[in-house]
Amino acid sequence: MRLTIVALLLTIGTAPAENPPGEEVFEQGIRALASKDWDRALGYLEAALTAEPDNMRYGSEYRQAVLRRAQTLHPKEGQPQDFERALKFFERLLTKCPTAANAHLNYGFAYVDKIPAAGAITQVILANTALGEFTRSLELNPSWIGYYTRGVSYLFWPKIFGRAKQGVSDLETALQMQKAAPKQPYHVRTWIALGDGYWKTDELDKAHSAWQEGLKQFPESVALQARLAKNGDDLKDLVESSLDPNKRVDTNLKDLWVKP
Amino acid sequence: MGEALKHPVAWIALAASPIVVLGWSGTAPKIKFTEVGQQSGATYQHRTRRFQGPHGDVLRMFTSGGAAAAVGDYDGDGFDDIFVTDSDTGRRNHLLHNNGNFTFTDVAEQAGVAGGNDPLSIVSDAIFFDYDNDGRQDLLVARFGTPILYHNEGNGKFRDVTATSGFNKFGNTIAVIAFDYDNDGLLDVMFGNYFKPVNLLDLRTPYVLPNDLDNAVNGGGVTLWRNLGNGRFVDVTEKAGFGKHTGWTLDIGHADLNNDGFQDVYLACDYGTDRIFFNNGDGTFRDATEKSIGFDTRKGMNVDIADYDNDGWLDIYVTNITDEYMKECNMLWHNNHDGTFTDVSKETNTCATLWGWAAKFGDFDNDGWPDLFVVNGLRSGSKENYIPVLLNMITKPGIDFTDIRSWPNIGNMTWSGYQKKKMFRNLAGGEFAEISAAAGVDNDLDGRGIAVADFDNDGRLDLFQTNADQRSLLYRGVTQGGGNWVQFQLTGTKSNRDAIGARIRIRTGGLTQIREIDGGNGYAGQSMKRAHFGIGKATAVEDVEIRWPSGRVEKIGSVAANRLHRIVEGQGRVRENDTNGNK
Repeated sequence: MRLTIVALLLTIGTAPAENPPGEEVFEQGIRALASKDWDRALGYLEAALTAEPDNMRYGSEYRQAVLRRAQTLHPKEGQPQDFERALKFFERLLTKCPTAANAHLNYGFAYVDKIPAAGAITQVILANTALGEFTRSLELNPSWIGYYTRGVSYLFWPKIFGRAKQGVSDLETALQMQKAAPKQPYHVRTWIALGDGYWKTDELDKAHSAWQEGLKQFPESVALQARLAKNGDDLKDLVESSLDPNKRVDTNLKDLWVKP
Repeated sequence: MGEALKHPVAWIALAASPIVVLGWSGTAPKIKFTEVGQQSGATYQHRTRRFQGPHGDVLRMFTSGGAAAAVGDYDGDGFDDIFVTDSDTGRRNHLLHNNGNFTFTDVAEQAGVAGGNDPLSIVSDAIFFDYDNDGRQDLLVARFGTPILYHNEGNGKFRDVTATSGFNKFGNTIAVIAFDYDNDGLLDVMFGNYFKPVNLLDLRTPYVLPNDLDNAVNGGGVTLWRNLGNGRFVDVTEKAGFGKHTGWTLDIGHADLNNDGFQDVYLACDYGTDRIFFNNGDGTFRDATEKSIGFDTRKGMNVDIADYDNDGWLDIYVTNITDEYMKECNMLWHNNHDGTFTDVSKETNTCATLWGWAAKFGDFDNDGWPDLFVVNGLRSGSKENYIPVLLNMITKPGIDFTDIRSWPNIGNMTWSGYQKKKMFRNLAGGEFAEISAAAGVDNDLDGRGIAVADFDNDGRLDLFQTNADQRSLLYRGVTQGGGNWVQFQLTGTKSNRDAIGARIRIRTGGLTQIREIDGGNGYAGQSMKRAHFGIGKATAVEDVEIRWPSGRVEKIGSVAANRLHRIVEGQGRVRENDTNGNK
């Protein structure tokens, strides 16, 4: 497991000795983004990803660019069609490189990015399709980010679908993986989500334990403090609000490579 | 005080007496209803249509409406009667004659209006309206099929005049309204159609269901029929500008939404965007959806229209689905006075009513602010829930939603069932408070339609609730300590006789209120055509103004509280001593 984490971090975050093959064109894409030249920016970022399909940072930045474009063209959440380009691109990319685990992860996130712009039933279909991509990513590379992502995704499903237990299971795995790796600031998210998962599966004591343990390790966490300070309906409102499928989920993965 | 006013003759006597003052204390009265369906003889078991064949179960699930009620005083005795529909093969409709003492007698068979559920047609909705301006309420029965138009013969009987009416077009109609879209003094008719026009009872293709569950465009749309004045109607759908609408229409609401004197139309559509059409005043409409409300992906079920905040502009309430598994939120469209609307359902606390169906405004405590009753619930069955079954279907890659064979049978499973109804008390225009339990209306039946009327003429609004595959309910308004009230019954002369589309504006103290007479707004329920106003502590109305569909504006002056005022276009307030307002 430790090797997986190290490999992951090498892929996504560390500065390589030489520029990776897509870096130059990626930087061109970022510059085009700054000037809101959307089509050129997306073209460059797609070229970068084509050169390095498994580069998580490229994939994440590309999705963020698609999202910014959508929200600029159609304020608030964008229109469903604004997200089609990214979905089609990842589909093509994965047809060529089906073993790119991080591309599957970003493909799943591309579906998640579209959710707030879609109708209620389409949201369910998108969320379910995203889960499929997260699972494929995990099959190819059982990573912390993969388990964390899929685990949280399960938690967004209403109780009636009975998927929260699967979310807890994934988050417990993610927790084990992060315990075996150097502590990272973003690891606090696992504690928050795991507690939320326990809460959603009616294991309130375990929820409190998870949040308390998380707070010991991340005493500055406002999210953990807020959960531990609330009870009853107030706590329900807080957890449900953070797992509201109608709210846009932050799928920007920059925490994985940007130092706080 | 209720007993004294139960007969119109008593109202006339009171009209000459000093102003009646109710004992309204000024503190919030408790809105209260008592369910009296059984003892009143006004409860009937509805049955949805059972379909034959291997996919009959799915078709039944998709057509689980048809429980409707229409209110109208068909015999002109001063007490509103109720027409109640049924939907299964051979099942009879009911015409509940109001006996004047809050009991009802089913006279549908004698009146000749019980039929309509034949092997190839399903009764789904109905309205009373006076299409020939003869002073008697005619009856239009909408069907998955061709409609039936009954002419009121005036002797307690109706005559089927469909064959000569022009209503010959098949439609899977779920909603119908009557309104005068061209202000020519004749009531026109709009049908809202759910499925495209294929006969579900003689199915030739399995591809009849929505092509998308959030953006469907393969529904039945609407048809608009112009009244020619000779007993005939002609289809003007295309000419009027409605031909491009192909949504799954579930309800239609009409009103003058931009205060230009012409009736506009709001369409609530399942599986996709609602539509708003403004009347151009020349017999055509323009689709203003994008600019006015924006496109939505919700499951629109109901349209009711009222000025909930008393700002002189009519607002719109639409129910959608806001359940555990789907959080759409209803829409309370606040009128911005410029042809656009802003949804304030969250801000007003009227967003979440589960699987919504009909919703109706009414001032149930007579405080001058329209309250809101919402019914809900799709299907209450066994403990097994259909939603997880449905999830497996809708997430199957490449699934064709239009194909009836794609959909799993529901059997006796529950789908958004056992839902408590919602009663929202208007807290003076800004917010509403949910009070259904205290009000006594928090039943958990599978609600469909609501008709609001004052069946006992006591100045307190009553409610008739229809339910799919269940018995109907009759709620008698028994609120104590509510405010004073006035009602107006309008008779058009140049305008259509029912005065549908007429706007009444009253002023009491610092408060100005408006109502428009509608011809069947709200899903599966037509309310009374009288305008009812609560006026709180006021003991008289200072000013009354009527804007008739003809364009005439009539100022009535001051009128007394706690009585019904009959007003004839061009004649002002009529103090007639009959019960029909025409002497």
